[in-house]
Amino acid sequence: MNILSRRSFLSHATRMGLGAALASLTDVPLVLQRALAEGSIGRPGPNGRVRKLLFLFLRGANDGLNTVIPVGDPAYYSSRPHLAIPDDPLQPAARIGPAIFPESGNTAGIYAHPYTLSLGNGFAGLHPSLKFLSPVYNAGDLALIHRVGYPRQSRSHFDSQAYWETGAPSSSGAKDGLLYRAMLESGLANTSPLTGVTIGTSLPMILRGSKAAMMNIGDPTRYGLLSIPNTAAAKAKLSAALEPADRARFAEKRDRDLLELQYRNLSGTLDLFADLKFAEADNTFRDDVATDADTDWANANGGGYFLFPTTNDKNGGWKRASGNRADKYVVPTSSYDYFTRLKTASILLNNTDAIVSGVSIDGWDTHSNQVDDRNTAAGLGAHTGSHAGLLRRVGWTMYALQKYFTKYSSRCHWDDLVVVTLSEFGRTSIENSDGGTDHAEASVMMVAGGGVRGFQPDALGGVKRTGVWNCGGDGDHVVPWVTGPTGSMFRASGRYLQRNTDYRSVLGRIIRDHLGATQPQLDRIIPGYASPEDSLASKGVQSRDNTSVIGEPEVV
Amino acid sequence: MGLVMALVAVPAVFADPGSAPSLSASLQIVDGVERLGLRFNPQPAIEAYELQASPGLGLPFQPVLVGPADFQWTVSLGSEITGLYRVEARGLDADVLWGTTLLHRIAYGPTPDELDRVRQIGPEAYLQEQIGVEEVPETLDVVNASPRWQKVVVTGTGSSSKLYIYMDGAGDAYLDDLRLVTGVGDDGSKPNLLRNGDFEAPLAPDWTLSSNLVSSARSASIVHSGAASLHLVSTEAGESQSSSLFQTITPPLSASQTYTLSYWYWTADQSARLTIRLSGSGISSTHDLSGSQNNPAPLFGKLKSGQATLADLRAWHVLRAVQSPRQLHEVLRQFLENHFVTEFTKTRDYFDGRGYDSPLPERLAVRTEFVENQRWREALLKPGVTFHDLLKISAESPAMIVYLDTVTSRGDGKYVANENYARELCELFCFGVDNGYDQQDIVEISKVWTGWRLELLDAANEFNPLAARSTNYVNPAVTGSALNSNTNVVGVWGFKYRTDRHNNAAKHLFHEWDTSGARLGGKRVPDRFGPPWAGRDYSLTLPARSGNAGMQDGYDTLRHMADQPFTQEYISVKLCRLLVHDGFEHGYDFTDAETSPEEELIHRCMTVWETSAPKGQLRPILQTILRSDLFRGNGGSLQKVKTPLEFAVGTIRALRVPLADGSSSSETDGYGLANFMNRAGRMRLFDRVEPDGYPEDAAGWVSAGTLAERLRFVTSALMPAGMTGKDDAGANTRVNVLGVLQSRLGAEGVRDSGRVADLLLQMLFPAEGKANLEAYRKVAVGFLDTTDGGTASPLSSLTVGSTAHDQRIRGAAALLMSTQRFQEQ
Repeated sequence: MNILSRRSFLSHATRMGLGAALASLTDVPLVLQRALAEGSIGRPGPNGRVRKLLFLFLRGANDGLNTVIPVGDPAYYSSRPHLAIPDDPLQPAARIGPAIFPESGNTAGIYAHPYTLSLGNGFAGLHPSLKFLSPVYNAGDLALIHRVGYPRQSRSHFDSQAYWETGAPSSSGAKDGLLYRAMLESGLANTSPLTGVTIGTSLPMILRGSKAAMMNIGDPTRYGLLSIPNTAAAKAKLSAALEPADRARFAEKRDRDLLELQYRNLSGTLDLFADLKFAEADNTFRDDVATDADTDWANANGGGYFLFPTTNDKNGGWKRASGNRADKYVVPTSSYDYFTRLKTASILLNNTDAIVSGVSIDGWDTHSNQVDDRNTAAGLGAHTGSHAGLLRRVGWTMYALQKYFTKYSSRCHWDDLVVVTLSEFGRTSIENSDGGTDHAEASVMMVAGGGVRGFQPDALGGVKRTGVWNCGGDGDHVVPWVTGPTGSMFRASGRYLQRNTDYRSVLGRIIRDHLGATQPQLDRIIPGYASPEDSLASKGVQSRDNTSVIGEPEVV
Repeated sequence: MGLVMALVAVPAVFADPGSAPSLSASLQIVDGVERLGLRFNPQPAIEAYELQASPGLGLPFQPVLVGPADFQWTVSLGSEITGLYRVEARGLDADVLWGTTLLHRIAYGPTPDELDRVRQIGPEAYLQEQIGVEEVPETLDVVNASPRWQKVVVTGTGSSSKLYIYMDGAGDAYLDDLRLVTGVGDDGSKPNLLRNGDFEAPLAPDWTLSSNLVSSARSASIVHSGAASLHLVSTEAGESQSSSLFQTITPPLSASQTYTLSYWYWTADQSARLTIRLSGSGISSTHDLSGSQNNPAPLFGKLKSGQATLADLRAWHVLRAVQSPRQLHEVLRQFLENHFVTEFTKTRDYFDGRGYDSPLPERLAVRTEFVENQRWREALLKPGVTFHDLLKISAESPAMIVYLDTVTSRGDGKYVANENYARELCELFCFGVDNGYDQQDIVEISKVWTGWRLELLDAANEFNPLAARSTNYVNPAVTGSALNSNTNVVGVWGFKYRTDRHNNAAKHLFHEWDTSGARLGGKRVPDRFGPPWAGRDYSLTLPARSGNAGMQDGYDTLRHMADQPFTQEYISVKLCRLLVHDGFEHGYDFTDAETSPEEELIHRCMTVWETSAPKGQLRPILQTILRSDLFRGNGGSLQKVKTPLEFAVGTIRALRVPLADGSSSSETDGYGLANFMNRAGRMRLFDRVEPDGYPEDAAGWVSAGTLAERLRFVTSALMPAGMTGKDDAGANTRVNVLGVLQSRLGAEGVRDSGRVADLLLQMLFPAEGKANLEAYRKVAVGFLDTTDGGTASPLSSLTVGSTAHDQRIRGAAALLMSTQRFQEQ
């Protein structure tokens, strides 16, 4: 074992405090990293399970104003003559109660409801393509946080994504990822086979760092050894031969402990992956009810919609609906690759030690064609179109994850999980001449999970607690939405929604109160968390651009 | 019974005196007989362990047992258990150890020939040779001027019975003596399955010409053997049967059988590449006509002419790493690329916004990387090259000017300069994090770089930042603003100094400032540095300057920062981490009593830096590190893990020898490795997003996921062509394992599992020591003497050249390269 000399360990410790960032301690024996770690990230809680995080990065900048819609603000309609979704005359956004879930009925398309879906807080509504968020919202498992951004917001995709992922806005010299630092703080980053894992083409910045190599998987069915020849028998022969080689004793060298440990993790992970059911044939996860009251589909297919639609056959919806309607399926047919990746991420969180997993959805940069041309004549706004298609993925994702981690829960239950959406910035309140919107600033973050402090009804059918932040009528979550184009909510030419929440406060809350970091750990994971002028931990003014923020929203 | 044991180990020949193994003893009863169990821990670099015993104090030790299995012995005891036991460990020769560490660190791993050569000439001579790089001849970038016949040999499966010959563009080639035989290797004795492969008979009916090759005919003027060869004349790129010269082989080939294709071609300086292959995924050979397969020269030509893609640049870099005799030079260039980080994608996006359409932004961005790389290359060839020289090249590089946003930074009028370059100059390029500077210094330094921008200059002015924009137009007749648009100007993008963007005020670097913003005296070097640095005032005041003189701010700053003790420390630590091991720290206190070999080495490097004239000469610092006791001995040997680049290149080199027929036993076209490096931890050469460079240490690269990629890579590299999984390493990454083994063991030796195992262990783990590799040897011999199904099958029972024999030796090599030890360097 590589034993750190007592002298140099103490010299480190006194220089930086014993609970210092593990990242800065070199030569800490691997088995001690866990013991030295503070907090409980990655440690099983009282129910015996580890609390986990799944992030969805919506790359391209999601138009928050058409996601959680400030229906009660007339400027929304005057700024977006083509893109605005009309208020529902029968169930207007001004009503108080639970969120609306419009059942499709026998012949209409799933997303045929052409109005905003009232969230019941008297002000806001969801884009109709997000209808599957309503059941999650009404169960109290969804927080919709509007007006989220950061100081001196960049409108460059590249820079702003980097700031979100490193947790260090305006610091282009940032070297590693926010969730990477969280994994390092857990003490497990170099010892456990899977801590953070993304499913995509390569490891994104949010999990990158030089002291631990997090895993990124492109195709999980590809995760196995090769052999010469490439047959099962030869593979078995190779594995059998590697085993005594891995156990052989050698002299001490600096990296031998790490190699030994990671080889052990490798063979463990290979065995694990061989058992995990990533193949399409095992994609049998379904809703436990007839989804959307679609009894026809349920009867024809033996159950509710498939939670991870990866083929047309597994894409629930009204096959009987006439014509080639895009909304006859619950998710767009172009989204199968995304749901394959989401399925892989979910299976990993549910069946392994992985603490954090993540998937990206591209395509949110809707400078044009945010609205479907056919709708403009009908005055239905961006009810269909590219943005609507993307929102359907997100809506179904939250609904499906709630079902998957409840019905199929193994090592991770919905109550142990938080799902969070990230997006680099929002889009202009005023639409452009191409039927789209341009880069702006604040946008929406969604936080979902069994432990989320969302909607609660009161005994009379009203609202005891809302799940909407920063987009409500008077008296809702501290800062009212000031209506009108010259009001304080829209800055600079009335185009950019003003933030009142810093994304780091949202993530900070989740990392501390859900994942289990201590406050000192959080201060290291998110640089500046402890400084008053950044006002991340509590309500105040962010000094970089003198903007008032609410501090941490109490989402978990 | 008296049990007297002095368990003392006395080193016989150790690379590092004092690392003697100590014995622990236990008494065991085996079959009713008392036995003494002796156990010890393996020591580094040991050739043989020997147990010795002496009957009593002062009496001589005699050898008792040699070579323990698994580092333990049991010894039977007589009626009286007295005696002294010790284990003697004969270490690897100190020079051999030093030589292998050199090959692992200043080279991309050993080749079998290099191992022999360094053993022969000695590590001292090898070190001198590599440091004095300009004395080592190297012509990899030079296209072979005098044409000759060159042989190609490839193996693969018989995926179909149609053989295609074509080129990937217009061009011509001479071919002769095409042979296709069963099995692996062709010594000329097996029947040729092709008809008229020597072209002695008219082409038809054996060969059919498609329309793009219809002018092909036999030639009597350029002939390899016999009276005729094939002169292949291509007017258009070929792809398959209808665009190739092809033959249908009868009787048909078998898809499960391995075959060997060999042929000779006449070298030529042409861009069109030749392909000879079977239909399907079996045997395939594609290469340029430059004279050696996978020659960097044509890629170098493309890079010089500005026509290269990013994939070309990476392939060139990798091919040089594999092939160059100037290995240290290649290692240092990669070090500089990874230290002065620039990002291809950002440069490409910059040119994308300058009015260029695809593929020009990519070509221009590749060119900036190439020019930067070439300038370092030339600088490193000068014996007196200093860190300052290299730093200047980076500052002047358009890629760097774009990457850290200097290109848009303004200091004129009320503009506030962009801090990125200034910060990284302090934090990542010169001083190291929080080492001698603070935020105020970054602000001051940021003003220095305002005005450092780019311009489209005449080629002759590429390195003249005061020259005006080129007025040489593609189409001079164009009117209006389009005349001077970027796409209409003939020129190259280079560093241009814009006087109108510069902050001309005086600047005060490395001063102390009080809380009200008033400037105090200069900063002083902290005490911990000790003499001669401690206490020195290292401030720099740049006077107000205007016009072109403002550019001098930058050069003054570079010259000032390049040789400060902070830079000396930071760069010395970086070099030591690259070359010795990862445990060097920043921030040593050189004045306190406690020290370590690492601290002392850093201090010596800094002293050498300080006292060389001019300061900061690279070669003396390298000499200091590479001759240090830490480097030479077990403290340096095998103490690092290979990065993905080192792993991929090292894999190719480990089994690379020239074979009798002129081919190389281990080849890659360079392109195939980029995918692996990306999957093994997102190592993308020339395109790193974060400015801190790819990690050097193991933790940055070693995880279960990345190890899986490494293991797949070595197996894929060693696979014969056409096997599923070959794509991981690239179809053009080929290793002829039989060829390497035969070159050392001969035809009989490759049937002997023991000798094959010994040779592989020697080539793959030259620094481990024979005695420490017993476990691996056992595993390897077992593998070689077993079928896939697990039944016993001695290697000697297989026919050399058969598919079964070939697969088994490939599998054994892949097995050994999949072990933990092969991850190390």
